[in-house]
Amino acid sequence: MWSEKYRPATLAEMKNQADVVGRLKRFAETKAMPHCLFAGPPGSGKTTAALCLAHDLFGERFMDAFLELNASDARGIDVIRTTVKEFARIATISEVPFKILVLDEADNMTADAQHALRRTMERYTDTCRFILSCNYSGKIIEPIQSRCAIFRFVPLSEDDIAAYLKIIVRKEHVRTEESGLRALIRSSEGDLRKAINTLQAAASVGRDVDEKTVYEVVGRVKPGDVQDLLEIAVKGDFIKARERLRTLLLQQGLSGKDILKQVHSEILRMPIPEKNKIELVDAIGEIDYRLIQGADEEVQLSSLLARLALTSSQKRSS
Amino acid sequence: MSAPWTVKYRPKRLADVAGNKTALQQVLDWVDAWPKGIPKKRGLLLHGPPGTGKTVSVEALANEHGLDLVEINASDKRSRDALERTVGAAARQSDLFGRARLILIDEVDGIDLSEDRGAVDAIVRLLDETQVPVVLTANDPWDPKIGAIRNATTMVEYKRLGLRDALPYLKKICQKEGVEVDEQALRLIVDRDMGDMRSILNDLQVLVSGRKTLSYDEAARLGFRDRKATIFDALRTVFSSPTCLQARRATDMAGIDLDMFFEWVYENTPRQLSDPRDLSLAMDALAQADLYRARIDRTRAWELLPYVIEMETAGVAMSREFTKPAWVPMKFPERIQLLSRTRKTRSIESQLGRSIGARCHISSKRAIPLYLSYVRFILEKNPAAGTKLLEWFGLDEDAMEYLGVKAAAAEVAPTKEKKERKGAKPRTATKPKRKGKGV
Repeated sequence: MWSEKYRPATLAEMKNQADVVGRLKRFAETKAMPHCLFAGPPGSGKTTAALCLAHDLFGERFMDAFLELNASDARGIDVIRTTVKEFARIATISEVPFKILVLDEADNMTADAQHALRRTMERYTDTCRFILSCNYSGKIIEPIQSRCAIFRFVPLSEDDIAAYLKIIVRKEHVRTEESGLRALIRSSEGDLRKAINTLQAAASVGRDVDEKTVYEVVGRVKPGDVQDLLEIAVKGDFIKARERLRTLLLQQGLSGKDILKQVHSEILRMPIPEKNKIELVDAIGEIDYRLIQGADEEVQLSSLLARLALTSSQKRSS
Repeated sequence: MSAPWTVKYRPKRLADVAGNKTALQQVLDWVDAWPKGIPKKRGLLLHGPPGTGKTVSVEALANEHGLDLVEINASDKRSRDALERTVGAAARQSDLFGRARLILIDEVDGIDLSEDRGAVDAIVRLLDETQVPVVLTANDPWDPKIGAIRNATTMVEYKRLGLRDALPYLKKICQKEGVEVDEQALRLIVDRDMGDMRSILNDLQVLVSGRKTLSYDEAARLGFRDRKATIFDALRTVFSSPTCLQARRATDMAGIDLDMFFEWVYENTPRQLSDPRDLSLAMDALAQADLYRARIDRTRAWELLPYVIEMETAGVAMSREFTKPAWVPMKFPERIQLLSRTRKTRSIESQLGRSIGARCHISSKRAIPLYLSYVRFILEKNPAAGTKLLEWFGLDEDAMEYLGVKAAAAEVAPTKEKKERKGAKPRTATKPKRKGKGV
């Protein structure tokens, strides 16, 4: 993937996030760093910054002193604890007295797991530095935040995105039209990964990348849409709506949370009586909490669909 | 009563097996391919619910093609030695009369790990060495204990028989037996037995014994096998009880698995309570029951169980107010079927997510929306470029095939397989070497 091929390898190559990068460079120069928390939206350079920092600290063979774990994949704190133990136990051969462990998507950990992580961070502090990365620092418990230097990553500016894309366009010999480039920048919303992946997909079509091609990609890659799910429910066809929901969950691999989020963002704009909307928002909030408690995604969301069907049938009869 | 119909009408030829035409063709093609060279995976795992024709189709095939069928099933003792003696010998020698041989190992998921010690290992070794085709059957191919067998075989799925497949078959039998059975009655039996042909034939035979005709009403009144009667009675109780106490009794009926019961109620509620007002109340009650279930799962506080039961029975029963009474047939929980049907897809997708995630520094879950959809797009528009990407991700044969790439799979597969044979650790590492920065 071009997003990997053109991922900066050193901090010097990182053109954006100047504040953050400046501070990280100092860590590399002094060969000392605290635990860090990288917070920011997807595609803003958190993982890249961590990789670059490791590279600048440890040199080409940095993978010996660097481990990347994913909080969503490495299930349970026990896995993390044993992995960290194994990793931190063996000293590095470099002149840097510590190793780096990156824990991605740390905001997906439960509060309990975070507390356990905190203890692990403390225990191995001499030999191992943690870099936690997350979208929202608010989801990280205070005790961890207070032990970390916090770095806030901002979405890339349009100019930054344009600069990166132009490099790739030149090196990969992609023919682009000005309208295509503009569409890429606009649709990326400051997410460089999205911009590059979209460019690569658009380039594969084999003609000049123009606005139309870009929007063809954007339209196709977006996850399953809840729009028609809501339309079916509002028409009052609960059984069909539930089937659609099932497809989204089981076949398109959306999570209940994804769907709920999309429904929530649509609900105020829907053609239903205003008074009902706030009841529905309340129901969505309740379901959101229930999903956190481990309730069944389809069953919970179905109850919302039944409510929607009811709301619209009352509207019809009145 | 004469011979059981399940024996009397056991298919002699592949064409006589009801339903599952795709699966049957796969089995036939696979066995046919053997004389041209031993395939990479020497076993074929037929999997599906009971009574869908797995064993019967292998027998029919052997019969039709004059193969010497060596059979082992769950009732045989399957220790390593026993397997060695019977199947192992068969796998090496040919038939006395030079007939081609076919080995059938029935119900492998029924292996009892304590009784049949070493059986899984013995079967895997057999699959490694056999010189003749080995067909295995299982109800649940995803049972972890047969994971090693699953990996060593090509899988073929048998589905529950639908009305379209079952009806013509049953009508033919009724005709041969000289009984006139109302089509609605047949539909009811197929439906109630959930497409399990063995059960259907047994029930039908019992129902028509000593009669010349069978009407829908008679079929509905006469006794069905117990497990079915219980779930249907319990559901009727839920959807028609006037009082909470009466509704709650639904779960007291013997032999009901509570989770399965929930699925039945949840599936049928929108059909039984069609008025949107009733439906919304009932779905809320079910969502509430589900929430208590989740709390029990989390906290092991089993004392919460009565609330689950009361919400899913009385809670649903008390929701009925506006729906007019009408007889609506009960449906088997579709979600269960879909779950098992999509399980393979989901397991491949998560494997894909892991491979992509390892390459792109991202969790397997987010790899799907953030990368896979782009990769799919590229594959469609520019197969060559797309295939190169897949190779760079280091995907295995299954994953490649899942994404519709066949040709390249052959190049990737052998090296991967060698690694597995040597007992290399499964690929769970999230630590990619940073060489080859991608295509």
